[in-house]
Amino acid sequence: MSRIVGGFVVPHDPVMYAAPKAASEAEAAAVYGAYAAIARRIGELQATTAIVIGCDHYILFGTDCLPQYVIATGEVDGPIDQLPGLKRGPIENHSDLARHIAEQGFAEGFDWTVGRSMQVDHSIAIPHQLLIAPNAGVKTVPVMLACGVDPYIHKRRAFDLGRQIGRAVESHPGDERVVVIGSGGISHWVGTAEMGRINPDFDRMVLDCVARGDAEALIALDDATILEQGGNGAMEIRTFICAMGAVGGSHARVIDYLPVPGWITGLGFAELAAA
Amino acid sequence: MSRDVLEKLLYDLSTSRQNREAFAADAEKYLGRYRLSAEEKALVRDYDVRALADLGVNTMLTWGFWLQAGRRNPDYIRAMQGRETTGPRGTTPTGGAPS
Repeated sequence: MSRIVGGFVVPHDPVMYAAPKAASEAEAAAVYGAYAAIARRIGELQATTAIVIGCDHYILFGTDCLPQYVIATGEVDGPIDQLPGLKRGPIENHSDLARHIAEQGFAEGFDWTVGRSMQVDHSIAIPHQLLIAPNAGVKTVPVMLACGVDPYIHKRRAFDLGRQIGRAVESHPGDERVVVIGSGGISHWVGTAEMGRINPDFDRMVLDCVARGDAEALIALDDATILEQGGNGAMEIRTFICAMGAVGGSHARVIDYLPVPGWITGLGFAELAAA
Repeated sequence: MSRDVLEKLLYDLSTSRQNREAFAADAEKYLGRYRLSAEEKALVRDYDVRALADLGVNTMLTWGFWLQAGRRNPDYIRAMQGRETTGPRGTTPTGGAPS
């Protein structure tokens, strides 16, 4: 049977690519160093598949249809949003595992939206380029939660969805070694009057919750508090909650935290211990 | 709800070069495709991103709407903060980098 061998939370800051020089050399080195350390860990864990929990930024899905959660079960291409230095192209999906997650979810009451041939945005493409592509042969299963456009997925639902993903992996009749990656920034204000603000206190509180495996504390945060303390971008901590649910471990190791004003985001990296 | 129509308009502009060119060529004609009041059309035509955000329009859309028109990011921040901008295609030096 397949199993989850580890997990991570990482940012997916597009400003790294849109304005690379806006951060200092030291900041950039630390950020890329954290990604490189996680890429190495994925190799050490001998992972064969990475499930990446990302989100939409009103790029993939329009006003016609705003799904709560989506899994790509077929062809994947991206990123749809073109950023200098972020390669666009096919992303090798593990379709069999993705379909299994969806089908198991249907049986359990999780009405997945599925993408049979879909594009992804930078929330999947950045972790893919920096973490997965360096590990040749590792496949990607993209999942997108409603974190950027309301109605946002409820945090409890994000956690339960993660649990369902975890159960589905464990029941998958293969021999996959799976890592789950929650892809989201912590404090950042996207397009608002406060854009550029970072709140390290909020960010450290979030990472403390991740470190002690306390998903309940993150679920208990009300959205008004997140918006005030972490900005609209911090709604992406739902991806952390989902990954924590999937991995199911009791703790995590914070790899690094960097508030990078030039990249307008609090950037946190952690490794989730497998259950 | 006007918020929804405004979001559709900005999403359509953000995802289609053809739409952006049509809007740039004749904003009034393009805006005629959407069921909006004259006041709402004026907010779009005038790039009044602050007022659009106040109506509940997602700020990822307002930000993209501004930048895709070739306008500068520091001017966007000023507009969102209710301060004066440097003009339709501002001349501040930091370009699209965050302020």
